[in-house]
Amino acid sequence: MSDAKCGMRLQNVRKDFGKVPIIHGVDLEISEGDFVVFVGPSGCGKSTLLRMIAGLEEVTDGSIEIGGREVTDLDPSLRGIAMVFQSYALYPHMSVRDNLGFGLSMANVPKDEIARHVAEAARILKLDALLDRRPGQLSGGQRQRVAIGRAIVRKPEVFLFDEPLSNLDAELRVSMRIEIARLHKELGNTMIYVTHDQTEAMTLADKIVVLREGRIEQVGSPREVYENPDNTFVAGFIGSPRMNLLNGTIAGKTIDIAGSTILAHAHSLEGHSAVIVGLRPEHLEVVTAEPCTLAATVDFSEYLGGIGYLYCQLADGQTVTVEQREGEDYKAGDRISLSWRPEKLRLFSADGARIRP
Amino acid sequence: MNTAIKARRARKKLFGNTVFHGFGLIASFFFLAPFIWAGLASLRSNAEAQSPPLPPWPKNGISVDAYLTLDTFGAGVWQHTMNSLLVSAGTVVLTVIVSILAGYGFSRYRFPFKNLMFVLIIATLMIPFQSILTPLFIILAKLGLNNSLLGLTLVYVTLQLPFSVFMMRNAFDAVPREIEEAARIDGARDLKLLVRVLFPLVLPGVVTVAIFAFLNAWNEFLAALILLSDNEKYTLPVLMTAVRAGRLGAINWGALQAGVMVMTIPCLVVFLLLQRYYMRGLMAGAVK
Repeated sequence: MSDAKCGMRLQNVRKDFGKVPIIHGVDLEISEGDFVVFVGPSGCGKSTLLRMIAGLEEVTDGSIEIGGREVTDLDPSLRGIAMVFQSYALYPHMSVRDNLGFGLSMANVPKDEIARHVAEAARILKLDALLDRRPGQLSGGQRQRVAIGRAIVRKPEVFLFDEPLSNLDAELRVSMRIEIARLHKELGNTMIYVTHDQTEAMTLADKIVVLREGRIEQVGSPREVYENPDNTFVAGFIGSPRMNLLNGTIAGKTIDIAGSTILAHAHSLEGHSAVIVGLRPEHLEVVTAEPCTLAATVDFSEYLGGIGYLYCQLADGQTVTVEQREGEDYKAGDRISLSWRPEKLRLFSADGARIRP
Repeated sequence: MNTAIKARRARKKLFGNTVFHGFGLIASFFFLAPFIWAGLASLRSNAEAQSPPLPPWPKNGISVDAYLTLDTFGAGVWQHTMNSLLVSAGTVVLTVIVSILAGYGFSRYRFPFKNLMFVLIIATLMIPFQSILTPLFIILAKLGLNNSLLGLTLVYVTLQLPFSVFMMRNAFDAVPREIEEAARIDGARDLKLLVRVLFPLVLPGVVTVAIFAFLNAWNEFLAALILLSDNEKYTLPVLMTAVRAGRLGAINWGALQAGVMVMTIPCLVVFLLLQRYYMRGLMAGAVK
């Protein structure tokens, strides 16, 4: 029933640990060759979902297809996947060469063929000089490259990455991130990547899947989830510093936030008595006087060189973060007015769902 | 000024080293003395065997009389050594196999009453085995295994297992789960997974279990005495008691020392061979 282009299809996939449901019926379709990133706060089930795709966790209900093949109850080694673990999980008693070739030797591939595949993976990842070392003699970045190499050698349809960079230091993380992006371009396989790091998610993904408490909150390109969030959770989770989410009440055709009256622009407020107004820090501007403004008091300011942040408070105690590219310095206690371009305003209903214009 | 400080430091260091190594030498002398004493005494000639123990070394040249005398006890020292080796090696092999499988199961699988069963296995350590010798004897008799080295081996394995299963479970617990999962994705399953991936990682635990099983089986006396009844089936500890009991009230001290050496050497060999597998940092580079 699936076309050749289908990289992977999850249908109503559920997972219970005992009586506790962890994944509540996930439906997801991934096209072949996509780089998909699962993001979400810790405990949202993103790793569990990945492990279910890998076959390391049993699926309580639902089905998983990889490349048009039903694999729900298949052994991990037969699913056409390869996985890179956060902790590398190299075989410490084997040389790098044996680590890379282990999967093939388990599949009874002839020795000369294994050697060829290992050499190719080593070339791609620049591991040639390290083939005879043990994992204990490698640095963190080299170990992670071996772990990725072990995945490449298996020539899988789908690569699974479980927070592969979180054990590395900041500098190495950036270079490995670029290396993974390059690898995706070079190999063209479907890749699923779990992370809680937004930068990794935004830079690597073709498609971001935002998860919360075992449910998919939104699926979309990085631009979509950033600019067009479906709900307050996605709006608050994607983006750093996070989007300002301000509680307001409806007063006729306008919204009242802590005594300031703002316009709803194109949004219809019918049927709502309270809304949540979403404004990203970089869309807020300090102005002297304009009709549509929010009055705030500066709590403290941070100067980071290129940009600065003003942490402000509204009259009712709600906090607002403002990103400043240029302009004058403000001190704690300064009273300011904030404005924004109408199209940057995002409205959500009181229960968090997006109200689209 | 500076050189004075340096000289003082060097003196201090020299003093520290001297104390350190001196203490080590004295301690090792106390540990080695009995062995050296027994070894030298076993090389005395028959004529010297009954002379006072000091000095311990042979005065009229080295002789193997004591070992020849030892061979006249029981069914000959070779026979008894072979018995002991058979029983000990069998105990080691069976204990290692069973405890690896049990330890792996207790560490990785989820099944009902797992913890209760584990506690029960450990709890059997509290039962002095002398107290169950009679039932053991009856069970072996029913199985047709009384007076056989195989029966004795099985009893030793049973007694050795609680500790060994405990050791192996801890060894498997220390292996990161991700390594096993990586191996499963690589297509290693069941026995292949255990032999190719996990066994090398729990080797230090296996060596510990093997050494303990060997030493305990090698030195065990009471069960061997009670469960075996044929002269030519006795193990070395039983032979040694016969030697110590003496003949017609006369104890041949030379033969006794020779027996001590015969019993000690295999233990030393086993320990020296296996101890290098207690490699530190075996797991280095696996995770993190």
